Amino acid sequence: MTASTVTPASLAPPRRGKIRRSLTSDWAARITFYVSIIVAWQLLAWQVDRMPAPWETFDFLYRELTGGSHGGVITGVFWEHFLVTLQRFSIGLGFGFVIGVILGVAIGTLGFVKSLLNDVMLVFLALPAVIWAFLTVMWFGLGWAAPVYTVILSTIPFVAVNVTQGIRAVSPDLHRMSGAFRVPRERRLRHLMLPAITGYMFTGLRFAVIIGWNAVLLAEWFGSTNGVGWRARFWYDAARYRGFLGWVLIFIAFIFLLDGFVMRPLQRRAFRWRDGRTGDGDQDAAESVIDTMAARGV
Amino acid sequence: MVLGWVGFLALWAFTSVFILDEFTLPGPAKVGAAMWQIVAQGEFFDDFAASISKTFMGFALGALIAVPVGYAMGRSRYWKAFFHDGVVGAGSIPGITYAVLALVIFGTGFLGPVIAVGLISMPFIALSVAEGVEGVDRNLISMARAFRRSDPQISRHVMLPSIMPFVFAGVRLAFAIAWKVEALTEVFGSSNGVGFQIRFAFQAFSITNVLAWTLLFILFMLMIERGLAVFERRVFRWRVWETA
Repeated sequence: MTASTVTPASLAPPRRGKIRRSLTSDWAARITFYVSIIVAWQLLAWQVDRMPAPWETFDFLYRELTGGSHGGVITGVFWEHFLVTLQRFSIGLGFGFVIGVILGVAIGTLGFVKSLLNDVMLVFLALPAVIWAFLTVMWFGLGWAAPVYTVILSTIPFVAVNVTQGIRAVSPDLHRMSGAFRVPRERRLRHLMLPAITGYMFTGLRFAVIIGWNAVLLAEWFGSTNGVGWRARFWYDAARYRGFLGWVLIFIAFIFLLDGFVMRPLQRRAFRWRDGRTGDGDQDAAESVIDTMAARGV
Repeated sequence: MVLGWVGFLALWAFTSVFILDEFTLPGPAKVGAAMWQIVAQGEFFDDFAASISKTFMGFALGALIAVPVGYAMGRSRYWKAFFHDGVVGAGSIPGITYAVLALVIFGTGFLGPVIAVGLISMPFIALSVAEGVEGVDRNLISMARAFRRSDPQISRHVMLPSIMPFVFAGVRLAFAIAWKVEALTEVFGSSNGVGFQIRFAFQAFSITNVLAWTLLFILFMLMIERGLAVFERRVFRWRVWETA
């Protein structure tokens, strides 16, 4: 999709008019896609009573950002709820990532930990985040603990599995060679293990971000009194679907931007030494989605 | 491997008895008994049949749309650019979005989970199809043309065999996601199915039943995945360079 993708079409561009060519360019195709989404949304809003139209939703979002009221409720609390959720999400993500890395290294390097946890991990990978949300709400009640623990518990297995994979990907030949040449332990860690697992750690972090965001929203929906997930539920329960859909758009927009503009480029950078790419190509988008699928928890 | 499970169950039982209590974390014996009761009373079969039929219907719907989309993406640069953001972005949109949108648009009926499953599985299947179509060996097609094979023959004997393995891998992975989203949609609003039962146990504040239904859910999912993997190996036995 970028210029670096070599396809027969780009090698020999067909002779077309200038207008025609600009209408069929990649950028035009992308813009057309977004326009079609908005059109489809508008059509859906005409068909379904409960579905607000795009402009109504954006109008609500504007009021939730700047102040005013909607359906008798004072709006303008976007930052308040967003920052609460962001804080829970970051704390949970931090703990989940650190514990996941430690666990992943233990599974990858210690034999008995591996035999103990390798298969059990499968169960935890398959465990939907909503279960953690329910359990933590029952354990800790409404408040801060449930969302934070839900994020920690649902991200750990994904980070751990990726780190373990990274450790297994270290070439055994290189290990043996560094043994034969008596390379000291710390140099082996720095130059052999670390480069090998960094990329996998970033992949794990990326999954953790995707999964953790879903987890924090679920836990807030079912067991919180503030935050993004709670606010969406608030409007849903009040049957004010503009408010509800507005916040659902925030669910999507946040992760879309974070994953597309921060996490995916970072992951590519971390694997750059291995893939031999300069880091701007998007031809591995397909791979990365397949990866996401492989490790995704909903 | 057995050691892992034994160790896990022992740790679970120990935590339940000595660190927490039987109410906060019911032990394996109690949860096992609840699982047995769910199966013996027949609830298991009714609710799993409901969930699995919704999953398959949604999956069929998703595939119906995804196959042409994926084909177009594999063949044309324009359609690839067109669908790119949607397909890649869909991998990161939280599952809760699909569940709550289905609830608002379709209510608590049967259609909500089906559409949610269709929507979430579509991009993944489309992407696998696109990858398969792009991976078809162009030289083989030219050769088939040189030997004057007709287009239907080329589709059947050159394109299809090289696309199928990708599609199958995509389907297998998408299934796990679809199954989870289906249950999640039922948690938000449904009158039957596994997700509904989990929600019911949550509202009754029964940690034992939440765990029992969850474990049945996971066992079922792992079994289906294993079954599909075995099937995949059999179907693609002819491939010499088979890796999966």
